[in-house]
Amino acid sequence: MTDELLDVDDVHQSYGEEKVLEGISFEMDSQDVKVLVGPSGSGKSTMLRCINRLTDIDDGDIRLDGESIYAMDENDLRRQVGMVFQDFNLFAHLSALENVTLGLKRVRGMGEKAAVEKAAWQLEAVGLREQANSYPAELSGGQQQRVGIARALAMDPKLMLFDEPTSALDPELIGEVLEVMRELAEEGMTMLVVTHEMGFARQAATDVLFLEDGKLVEQGPPNQLFENPERDRTRDFLGRLTSLHGSQ
Amino acid sequence: MTRSTKRAVRDAALGAFWLWFGVRLLNDWFGGVIVPEGQPFFDPQPVADAATALRETAAGLGVLGTPLGWLANGIGSLSFAMTYLPDLAAGAWLTVVLTVLATIFGLMLAVPLAAARVYGRVTHWVALGFIELIRGTPLLAQLFVLYFALPLSRWFAAVPYVGTGIVPAQAVWVAVVGFTINSAAYQAEYIRGSIEGIDPGQLTAARSIGLSRIQGIRHVVLPQALRLAIPSWTNELVYLTKYSSLAAFITVGELFHAARAAAYQNYRFLDLFLLAAVVYLALVLSATTTMEWVRRRVAIPGVGGSGGGRMSTE
Repeated sequence: MTDELLDVDDVHQSYGEEKVLEGISFEMDSQDVKVLVGPSGSGKSTMLRCINRLTDIDDGDIRLDGESIYAMDENDLRRQVGMVFQDFNLFAHLSALENVTLGLKRVRGMGEKAAVEKAAWQLEAVGLREQANSYPAELSGGQQQRVGIARALAMDPKLMLFDEPTSALDPELIGEVLEVMRELAEEGMTMLVVTHEMGFARQAATDVLFLEDGKLVEQGPPNQLFENPERDRTRDFLGRLTSLHGSQ
Repeated sequence: MTRSTKRAVRDAALGAFWLWFGVRLLNDWFGGVIVPEGQPFFDPQPVADAATALRETAAGLGVLGTPLGWLANGIGSLSFAMTYLPDLAAGAWLTVVLTVLATIFGLMLAVPLAAARVYGRVTHWVALGFIELIRGTPLLAQLFVLYFALPLSRWFAAVPYVGTGIVPAQAVWVAVVGFTINSAAYQAEYIRGSIEGIDPGQLTAARSIGLSRIQGIRHVVLPQALRLAIPSWTNELVYLTKYSSLAAFITVGELFHAARAAAYQNYRFLDLFLLAAVVYLALVLSATTTMEWVRRRVAIPGVGGSGGGRMSTE
């Protein structure tokens, strides 16, 4: 048994005949920030969804704190693993504050007052104190995504999964979300991030994982992967990504 | 007319209707407080006499008297309405009771039916079977089965207070059951449509913070789906107000039944049915106005057509 926070062990996954993940293994220590990159269809999002059991795997195992996630109650697992979505997926009928309090009240069983206090603090941490009572439709994309981050963080997760958190944003709104994520990384949150933002990967990642066709092609610290990749395929892909998304 | 003028005219007309309706019902329930039960508040005879006199004057004027003749007919209709409206009040009350109860109970059944239809596995087929069976057979046939083939009305008759005072008799309760079942099937389809209109990503997000599927449906999907369903749901209320006339065929003395009964006394079928139609119109307008108010009250920016005024009630 290992003492890693997250241990992804030879995971296979398929949708019907189509194989999506073909034997992925990696580990994450506490406070690691790993960035998953790869062409579309390479299985990055599926990999994230396997970790909080939004998608089931065919073979292999995933362990959180040494315990197989399949031995855990799925709602309990999800409370410990926060997730941030590409399309924000905010609850449209709830204010920013209520988006955060819903889980606190219904999952963690907090009282109204304690939940509101914690949610307000969490929103302030992502710079949205003023917008607490706004509805999602009244917020910009960047603000919505920050509410999404606050909603996940409020559950005090051990691990945060980010599924292309800036891909649906207008370019000028990407920075505010990346800034929040960078601060989060500095505070020591363990994060697994699917993103094309190479600037973020260079600055904040402890490791970059390059996925292609359901296989983990190469992994290593950002400097090594960006400067001296072992494979030409990695160099090509990262080079193109950097020229497209490297500005941040 | 501007929008606000139209609204003021509508509100004034509905206000007058409900003032009359309320005073009428209270008067009759408490054994004739103002006038004897079932008697008009104002004597229609002078109005009828005025109409007759006017008609005679118009006849004397030849062609020139035609507009005057129309006026006389209008005043004649007024005296007719004053005479027979009291007979329709009790019936209109039962129409309201049937419609409101069936809609509310129907909604309580429709929400789980719709959720089962969208999210269920085995329950999906159960809900689908129920909905298609009910929507696929005539409402009148359903009422006949409930009233004549099942012992429902005997059970209701055994319940204390049924049929005494202002508590309606057993046939009314059988009709409530029938309309509830029927309405539930239709409402379930309206709500299913709006559930499917909610981005499934929201339910995924609810699951991702540890809410169970049921909690996600209850706290995230349904609050939005029910708001989205209000306009089509209003339609159901409108239909049901009028379809409730079918209860007449299982002896319920609702509005249509009352109009028909009065017409058997004087053979003025067309006049009485038109008068009943006016009362139906007042009830339907009340329903749509109320629902528009509800829609505005619960509106949330970005959820459904909350920009206002998408659903016309004029």
